[in-house]
Amino acid sequence: METLGFLMEGFAVALTPYNLMFALLGAFVGTLIGCLPGLGPANGVAIMIPLAFTLGLPPETAMILLTSVYAGAMYGGRISSILLNIPGDEPAMMTCLDGYPMAQKGRAADALAISAIASFTGGLIGTVGLIMLAPILAKFALTFGPAEYFALFMLAFATLGGITGKNPMKTVIAATIGIMISTVGIDIATGTQRYTFDILELYEGIDFILAIVGLFAISELLFFVEARIGGGRKKMSVGKITLSFKELVHTIPTQLRGGVLGFIAGVLPGAGASLGSFISYTLEKQVLGKKGTFGEGDIRGVAAPEAGNNGASSGALVPMLTLGVPGSGTTAVLLAMLISLNITPGPLMFTQHADIVWGVIAALLIGNVLLLIINIPLVGFFVRLLSVPPMYLLPIVTMVAFVGVYSISHSTFDLYFMVAFGVGGYFLRKLEIPLVPIILGLLLGPEMEKNLGHALILSDGDWTVLWSSPLAIGFWLVAGLGLVLPTLVGPILRRRMRAALKEGPVSD
Amino acid sequence: MTGAGDRILGLGLLVLAVAYGWAAQQWPEPFGGAEGVGPETFPTILSVVLVAGSLYLMIKPDPDARWPVGKSALELAISVVVLVVYTLLLEPLGFVISTTLAVGTLSWRMGGTPVRAFLTGLISAVVVFVLFNYGLDLSLPGGLLEVN
Repeated sequence: METLGFLMEGFAVALTPYNLMFALLGAFVGTLIGCLPGLGPANGVAIMIPLAFTLGLPPETAMILLTSVYAGAMYGGRISSILLNIPGDEPAMMTCLDGYPMAQKGRAADALAISAIASFTGGLIGTVGLIMLAPILAKFALTFGPAEYFALFMLAFATLGGITGKNPMKTVIAATIGIMISTVGIDIATGTQRYTFDILELYEGIDFILAIVGLFAISELLFFVEARIGGGRKKMSVGKITLSFKELVHTIPTQLRGGVLGFIAGVLPGAGASLGSFISYTLEKQVLGKKGTFGEGDIRGVAAPEAGNNGASSGALVPMLTLGVPGSGTTAVLLAMLISLNITPGPLMFTQHADIVWGVIAALLIGNVLLLIINIPLVGFFVRLLSVPPMYLLPIVTMVAFVGVYSISHSTFDLYFMVAFGVGGYFLRKLEIPLVPIILGLLLGPEMEKNLGHALILSDGDWTVLWSSPLAIGFWLVAGLGLVLPTLVGPILRRRMRAALKEGPVSD
Repeated sequence: MTGAGDRILGLGLLVLAVAYGWAAQQWPEPFGGAEGVGPETFPTILSVVLVAGSLYLMIKPDPDARWPVGKSALELAISVVVLVVYTLLLEPLGFVISTTLAVGTLSWRMGGTPVRAFLTGLISAVVVFVLFNYGLDLSLPGGLLEVN
C-alpha cells in the first residue's frame, strides 16, 4: 500500500499550521465566491492566482489554497439555489428543483444543512476515488509517447464543449484562437521571434494569467453592466434547523449513489459537474420513483445533486493531475497555477512533486471537513452576503483583479492587455464562443507544439506517426465522437435538462 | 439579417487566420537549416484550422444575440473607458485616489447613489492599500499621497 504511505506524507504537508491556515482561508473564500452573485468558481480561482503569487506562497501552499477555494465554491453555489431559486453556479442548477420548494415550506435551514452534508459525502467519495484512481492512471500515462500526448490534447479540446455543448465548431474556433495566442513570443525550439511585432513586452509571450483574469473577471463586469442588475436582493432569514436524525440517515443511500455517479461524470471527458448533478438527480428520481416527492421539496432531491456535483469536482481533478489535461474551466485555471509555479503537470508530477500532489489531495480531504464545519454554523453569514448588491461588489472584485495583476509585474502594460482581453471576452461571449477552450489553448498550446515536434522528429517527419499506435487511434476516435455527439445527442439532453427544470414550481 | 454577428466574426477570423498563416511563411529559416518541423509548422496548421472554422461560421451562422443599443451600449463604453483611464492614472495619481474614482464611478453607473458609490470606492481602496502595503509588504503606487 504505497498509496497510503504517500497519503500520510501528504497529510504531513497539509497539516502544518501554515498550510492548514491557508486551507481554511481557501475554504472560506471559496464558499464566499460560490454564493456571491456574479462570481463563478473559475472566475474566483482565476482572481486568486495573482494573489497567491504576490503573497509569495510556496508551491504546495499555493495549490492547497486554490484547491480549497475550488472545493469551497462547489459548496457555496447551493446557497442561492436553495434560497433564491437562482443557481450560484451552473452545477448547482439541479439543487434549485427541490431546494427552493423546501425553502418555501419554511425548511430552508434543513435544505442548507442536508446539502452541506451531502456535499461533504460527495466530496469525500470523490476524493477517495481520486486517491485510488490517480496513481494507476499516472503510471499508465507514463507509457504515452509524444504522439499519444498530441492525440490526447486533441481529445481534451474536442470534449471540452461537453455533451451538452451547443456548437462544437465554436469550441474548435475558440481552442484555435487560444493556441494561436500561445504561439506569440520567441519559439522555444528555434529562437525565432513569432508575432512579436518588435514589441519588447511580447518577446516572452502573453502571460496567460492576465489573459484568464481579463477574460473572466472583466467580461463578467461588462455583462453585469449591460444587464443592469446592480440592485441587491432582499434580506433573508433561514430559520432553525428541524432536521431529524432519522431523515438524515434516510438520505445516506442517496448521497452515496450521487457521489459515485458524480465522480464518474467528473473523470470522464466531456461530462463535468453539471452533468454529474443532473445524472445523480434523475437517477435518484427513477430509483425512488413514487416513493419520493421530487420537485415538491423532497429532501433527497437536495442531497442527490449536491453529492453529485461535489463528487464530480473531485473527479475532474483526476485528468488534470495525472495527465495535465483539465476537463473543465476551473481545473484549467488550477492548471494555470501549476504551470506558472514551474511544475510540469502530468504523470511525472506524481514522482517529481509527490509532496505537492499528495499535499493537495490530503488538503481536499481536510478541506471537506473544514467546509462542513464552517458551512453549518456560518450559513447565516453567507446568506447575509447574498444581499450584497453586485453594483458595489463587482467593481471591487475588478479592482482586486487589477491589483493582483499589477503586483506581479508592476507594469501597466499588462493591465491594458488585461482590459483588452476583457473586452474581447465580452464580444466572444456575446457571440457564444466559449472562453474555456481559449484558456485551455493558451495553456496547452506550447505543450502541443512540443509534442508534435518530438513526434515528428522521432519519426523523421512522417506525419502518420500521429495516428499509428492503437492508443493514439483510440484518442482520435473519442475526440471525433466528442465533436459529433453534441450535434446528435446534445439537443435531446439539453431539452431534458430544461424540461426537468420547468417541471418544478420554478416561477412563482 | 439573421446571423450577421457570426458572419462578421467569421470574416474577421478569416482575415486573422490568413494574416497569421502568411506571417508564419515569412520567417527566416532557422539557423542550422530547415528540418521536418520548423517554427512555422504549427502556426500553419492553426491557420488552416481557423480558415475552415471561419468559413463554417459564415456559411452556417447561429442566430444573432441581442446586442446592447442606446443607453446600455453607452454604459458599456463608459465602463471600458473607466478601466482604461484607471490604468492610465494608477501610477501618476496613486492607488488610493485612482481606485476611489474608478470603483466609485463604476458603482455609480451600475446604479448606486453617488455618495454611497464613492464611499465604497474610498473604503475599499484604503483597505486594500493598507492590506497590501503594510500587511503583505507589496508596494502599490502612492502617487500624490506619497509621503517622503
